[in-house]
Amino acid sequence: MTIDHASAVFDVVAELLTQLTGDTDVLGIEITPDTTFHEDLQLESIDLVTFASILAEHFGADVNLAEYLAEKDLDDVIGLTVGDIARFVGERTCPR
Amino acid sequence: MTVNGLRTNVQLVPAGGTETVVFLHGMGTDSLASFYLTLAPPVAAAGIDVISYDLRGHGKTERPERGYTLGDFVADLDDLLRQLGVDRPVHLVGNSFGGTLAYSYAVANPSRVRSIVCIESEPATEVWAEKMSQILAHTVRFLQVEESFDWIEANFGAHHRRLARMAAERITSTKMAEEVPLGPLLTWEQVAAIGCPVLSILGSHGYQADDLEALTSLLPHGELHVFEGQGHSVLVEQHREVRELVLKWVERHAA
Repeated sequence: MTIDHASAVFDVVAELLTQLTGDTDVLGIEITPDTTFHEDLQLESIDLVTFASILAEHFGADVNLAEYLAEKDLDDVIGLTVGDIARFVGERTCPR
Repeated sequence: MTVNGLRTNVQLVPAGGTETVVFLHGMGTDSLASFYLTLAPPVAAAGIDVISYDLRGHGKTERPERGYTLGDFVADLDDLLRQLGVDRPVHLVGNSFGGTLAYSYAVANPSRVRSIVCIESEPATEVWAEKMSQILAHTVRFLQVEESFDWIEANFGAHHRRLARMAAERITSTKMAEEVPLGPLLTWEQVAAIGCPVLSILGSHGYQADDLEALTSLLPHGELHVFEGQGHSVLVEQHREVRELVLKWVERHAA
């Protein structure tokens, strides 16, 4: 995965997240790779399910966030960051 | 989609298979996410159609003030399967209250259930109702005290504080705590007459720890799997092992 690809994917993931959070300025935070899904964005696990659908719709069925998370431990899911999601999406969409 | 009059969040993972698993989550802080983010992907990858949905009052499904008897939950599942056109018997996989719902559904609709996997669950007998009444009443009292949230955060972290807030909001804004234990309750004869295979997965320190053998011995086709040293959160803490148990179970009990 090139730096350009990773950076472009992160920007798209952050933009797609606003479909869940609305304007993150309201929360007073800027989305960075370290922003946590649950604690910083105040989202719930059920929002991860919705976000999985949003990602699959945008990037295609190969980007299966639920499948990725099914291999994680609970603490990893609780501490999931936007950077984790962007890295996963980047690897699945990496141009060959 | 609208199920039994309520806007209901449904997630389908069609696999084009010959078997269907319906995941039924637990009460309070739970939602379809606990299954969707653990068991649903590998089950679908095994060629099994997956249906999961947020129970009434939970997740992204509508939350009416009233309507939380087991009869309401059974009617929801029945209407959901009817609307989805599922005409073959299904495997019900329930976590905690979801397993209780699975038993009640199987008693009401025996021909529609191929098998049951219940995780830290028991059927809705008078014993269950008494236990649920006490747990829910204690939970309501506990969550009405602000210091309880500080204690939860100190012992389990900020994430669990937020979950407790969510549970408090759900419980206090509805009649859930009062109505759920009302049943309709099952007699032991009704439970013993459940004809489909039942796998009961328990933690040795879970909610059924005091009665690990009795329930399973009652069921004519019951099996028991106990995780030693495990509390009530079997699904999230042992999800890889539970996944293997469920996959083997469905394979064994396929049509």
